[in-house]
Amino acid sequence: MVPATEHHAGWRTSALLAAGAAYALGAAATTAFTLPADVMTGLPIVALAVLVVARWPLRPRPLQLAPDARGTHPYRAWGALLAVIVVWELVLYLARGSRGAHPTLSSMADALDRHYILKALVFFGWLSLGALIVLKGTQANAPSSTPAETP
Amino acid sequence: MSAAVSYAVWALLGVALLGLWARSRSAGSTVARPAVVVERLATGPLLRVALVAWWMFTGWHFFAR
Repeated sequence: MVPATEHHAGWRTSALLAAGAAYALGAAATTAFTLPADVMTGLPIVALAVLVVARWPLRPRPLQLAPDARGTHPYRAWGALLAVIVVWELVLYLARGSRGAHPTLSSMADALDRHYILKALVFFGWLSLGALIVLKGTQANAPSSTPAETP
Repeated sequence: MSAAVSYAVWALLGVALLGLWARSRSAGSTVARPAVVVERLATGPLLRVALVAWWMFTGWHFFAR
């Protein structure tokens, strides 16, 4: 039998996901460079700023590696990939010629935004990442975990 | 440089991203899972400011302006 607290947390997560999906569908219906788009994008930004100030510790304790993970470099591959992506983005951004021949992440996102469902999915992903950022920063004082253990 | 080359490199980077994600999910992997990477960034005194600023910028840039 599922404990009451887990049951409650499950319902809360489901409700948040449903609300986020509904919000993303609404935001995807707006057009960039209009007031509705500004409002629908600005509200989550303000909400995240408020949550971060309210929930994050003033002096965070950086995530420590578990003793058996010492000597490994669990973040190195991600850092290297991020660096390559940033360099490639800059190369294309600074290249002479049309944007069509030198697509940046922004121009590809613009192309994606022309399709309602795709835009809604990307917006939902952005909202979910924001929620994850708030959650992980809030857990700063929780026991540290090994890189491969936390989902 | 042609558009085909540009898109091909983006595709390769996308495949690398998925590969790294899959590798991080495998048992005994020394690569951190994406959520752990976010946790590390969100608990760094300066990194967390950069992370929040990046999230805000991407949302505003992609969906509003």
